[in-house]
Amino acid sequence: MSDDPLALIRTRRVIRALTDEPVERAQLERILEAASHAPSAGNRRLQRFVAVEDAATLRVLRMVAPGMLQRPTAAIVIFVDVGAAVEYGFAPGSRGLYIDVGTAAQTMLLAAHALGLGSGPVTSFSRAAVGAVLNAPPDWSPEMVICLGHPAPTQPPAMVPVRRRSWRELAHWGRFAPSGTRQTDAAVPYRDQLGYSSLRQARDS
Amino acid sequence: MRSMVLTEDEAIELLAYLVTAARTQLDEAAEYGPLRLLTAAQRLAAFIGPRVSPATRVLLDGPIRRVPATATRSLDPDGYAAGLDAVCQALAEHLVTHFGVERSTGDER
Repeated sequence: MSDDPLALIRTRRVIRALTDEPVERAQLERILEAASHAPSAGNRRLQRFVAVEDAATLRVLRMVAPGMLQRPTAAIVIFVDVGAAVEYGFAPGSRGLYIDVGTAAQTMLLAAHALGLGSGPVTSFSRAAVGAVLNAPPDWSPEMVICLGHPAPTQPPAMVPVRRRSWRELAHWGRFAPSGTRQTDAAVPYRDQLGYSSLRQARDS
Repeated sequence: MRSMVLTEDEAIELLAYLVTAARTQLDEAAEYGPLRLLTAAQRLAAFIGPRVSPATRVLLDGPIRRVPATATRSLDPDGYAAGLDAVCQALAEHLVTHFGVERSTGDER
């Protein structure tokens, strides 16, 4: 595996086919340690991580997580400690709490990739059920499951985007010009340049 | 006909999937609805595969298993619908044979 962080970012993929080989405890610890270095607003660290290695618990987690297509041999559930967040003065739905879930998740996905493991994030699960399965504190809200394991030789096809976009299509330099004066979008609204209209038409047709 | 093609473990696993998928669908894009149903169908197929008749196993190992696990409608709405139509047609043809419908005609009184 490359030590080049940019190469790791470019080559990471969601891995949905995993072998039965267990993930070593030391590898899980390294991933969790990496998460502790993820950006956290105000360095408040309001996310909590529950590592699961037990096969029966993983099986039941998968039963209540429709988005979990893979059969992981380990998983890390990212929680928001809503109780601690409220003590800080956050509203329970404050965006920053969930942005920090994302920074922790991406950090762990890259750490897993660097260790040669396959990984994939899952957000489609019943929060109530996952909390019950893990007997989590009632004011911890599960927000994402990071599935982990050793990649199988063949993988199912990835979720295919409607149209793959380059970073140039997704990025903009500096301040936007007044509406109607942009050279690139005289006739096409900015959202339409990004393909939202074609996506909407495809869905509505 | 086999009287039981699901164990209790398999049945409650599928039940849990269906109930939690109903909840997650409230927060997901609408196009995930078919995806979740098809995933449930594939899990059911995997469970019952070892205990069904050879003819049903052909259906499960063919059209049902070939449904892409990660396909959604937005990439190719027409193709997606056509693919599901093909699966439905294969399913219906199996039902006709399995339940002996081909032996009945509209002229029977």
